[in-house]
Amino acid sequence: MGPGVVLVLLAMYIPVVYTMYLSLTDSNGLDTPRFVGFQNYVTMFSDPSFLVSLMNTAIWVVGTLIIPVGVGLLVAYLSFGLKWAGIFRIPFLIPYALSGVAIGVVFNFILQNGGALSQALAFLHLPGAHTHWLEVAPLNTIVMILASSWQGIGVNALLFIVGLQSIPKEPLEAARIDGANGWRLFTSMIWPLLRPSTTIVVGLSIVNSLKTFDIVETMTQGGPNRVSETLGVTMYTDTFQSSQYGLGAAVAIFLTIVTVAASVLYLRRQLAIGDSSGSGKVTEA
Amino acid sequence: MARCRGGDDSSDGRPRRLLIQLIRWLGQQHAQLRRRQGWNYGPLSSAAKKDVDVSLKTSTYSNENQFQAFVKQSLRTPKAPDIFTWHTGAQLEQLVSQGLVADTSSVWKEAVANKWVSPSIEKMFTIKGKQYCVPLEVDYWGMYYNKAIFQKYNLTPPTTWSEMLSDAATLKSHGVVPFYSQDGNPWAFVYYMLIMAGTDLNEYNAINDGKASYTDPQVKSVMDTWLSMLQKGYFSDPGSTTPSQTVFKDGDVAMQPFGTWYPGTLAKVGMKPGSDWGIFPIPAIKAQDGKTPVAVETAPVCVTAKGANKAAALKYSKWLMSPAAQSTWSKAQGILPYNPKAKAANSTLQGFGQQVTDASKYTTYLRYYEAAPAPVLTAALNNFTGFMTSPGDPTKYLQGIQSASSQYWASNK
Repeated sequence: MGPGVVLVLLAMYIPVVYTMYLSLTDSNGLDTPRFVGFQNYVTMFSDPSFLVSLMNTAIWVVGTLIIPVGVGLLVAYLSFGLKWAGIFRIPFLIPYALSGVAIGVVFNFILQNGGALSQALAFLHLPGAHTHWLEVAPLNTIVMILASSWQGIGVNALLFIVGLQSIPKEPLEAARIDGANGWRLFTSMIWPLLRPSTTIVVGLSIVNSLKTFDIVETMTQGGPNRVSETLGVTMYTDTFQSSQYGLGAAVAIFLTIVTVAASVLYLRRQLAIGDSSGSGKVTEA
Repeated sequence: MARCRGGDDSSDGRPRRLLIQLIRWLGQQHAQLRRRQGWNYGPLSSAAKKDVDVSLKTSTYSNENQFQAFVKQSLRTPKAPDIFTWHTGAQLEQLVSQGLVADTSSVWKEAVANKWVSPSIEKMFTIKGKQYCVPLEVDYWGMYYNKAIFQKYNLTPPTTWSEMLSDAATLKSHGVVPFYSQDGNPWAFVYYMLIMAGTDLNEYNAINDGKASYTDPQVKSVMDTWLSMLQKGYFSDPGSTTPSQTVFKDGDVAMQPFGTWYPGTLAKVGMKPGSDWGIFPIPAIKAQDGKTPVAVETAPVCVTAKGANKAAALKYSKWLMSPAAQSTWSKAQGILPYNPKAKAANSTLQGFGQQVTDASKYTTYLRYYEAAPAPVLTAALNNFTGFMTSPGDPTKYLQGIQSASSQYWASNK
């Protein structure tokens, strides 16, 4: 075995196998773990907080597809070809340089009870000054998705711009000569030709939203009373806060399976469409 | 300890439970103790070097969860620290049951004989007849009050629960929030603990030992008392992250229940004991055998059972309880020393300390944060937060905590 294989084994496979093993034990991080079979998985699925966490994660997946991906595409499309497009795009790109934790801290300052947003609304005599943005579900998840979107739009727009630039001009010109403009041009020509970029952006968005952790941990720690937890936060809380390493490992394994399954299903489907050379026919992989 | 929403942001008080010092011995020639926010080990380290020729190198963890994971993972390895800070209660029992912490019975025997520490504190460090770890400090919980506000509305520190509620009603009628409150980790437990222990201390202890249930009628009644106070608007916004010392100084809140470590935090915003703030024992709703229960918390320093510098670590532990060490620590931190022969940093605190250590009138109990096992504590903090943010029928929250408690005690009897 070459050193590369050893490294992959040590860094990738062994932790996964060890986590699978832990998920079948009652490990608390200190005592010798006892084998408990699938008890942690039973506990996990019968815990209402886990089901809330699962639902929140689904909201994150849908929310980050609609907002950062949708708005990113809009920004890219509207700014494409404009003379001062670079200047227009820069404000969207800057937040991407920040870490999720920094975003969480800043938005926590804005959205906390009596925070900057509440003060601004009160000053302007607008409704919502007394809204507890981070304490009411699913409002807290929605505002955290918006905070996350503030960061994510720019990079998605950038990826779409690269996609737009790689579209050959000839078919677009031919379409224009045939009378296609605006919405029609976008839906019939640009959107299908953008598929390689869309595949990457959507694929990354699904994976990133499934493992959402930092922004939730910094803004609400999954609370109040676990109503804004995502699977990533549940895994962390069960493991390190409750010292239920076995249960946390079970959540980790479940999250891994969901993430891998979602990625594989999505990518295989998209690649299958790509193979059909834009015919629009969906072939099952 | 005083860490709240927003992860590691210190929103009030000094960091303690969530900004824990990991103390690692490097032998006697080193003196590399770092100063850090909250706990200032500098003066203590210098004094230890001078008095017992022992010095420390400290490693700091800014996150309680990471710290706990490190200690648990390292104690069986050569990377184990020689001494480390920890918790009493269920968390200490867990380490002791695995033989990972050194027996400090001889150190305690001498300290008790010297009257350096009261036997009631010794009990908190006793597991199956032996003592483990030593206290860096012992803190009693009282109610801090803003003197200017009390003076303005002609209020005096209450001596009974009904007097305290009457003061609260007066304050509320003048638009002043009577009590400081905060949800989440760590403070969501505070009013459950104060009302539960102040009503039925036996039940409070039995629940923490897994021998009674959160769904017992006594607990429901306690939660109803809390609910009625919530509905009367007696508490500050639990979701606010404005530091407690700021709202206290600004006069937005009149009373704050905290341990005797809090004056150091108040000093940082320029509040002086005696003139700006006072402290009174939190009155019992129902006295326990004629005594008022007082919550107590400790900051134990533990010696690793198989540490490389165990002898030096034990020597340091013994010194830590001495009048010299406790006077130094009290001065550095502005807190109450547990050693009655040590000099307290301020007379307000010393008076309070003498008052609540009078065993004929007060009885101590372990603070909930240490008394509840980790998974139960997590569930409790979550459910109490739910209750505080949406005050209503407490039953579902109590059932949520009991579910975690039943699960824990089923496998930890």
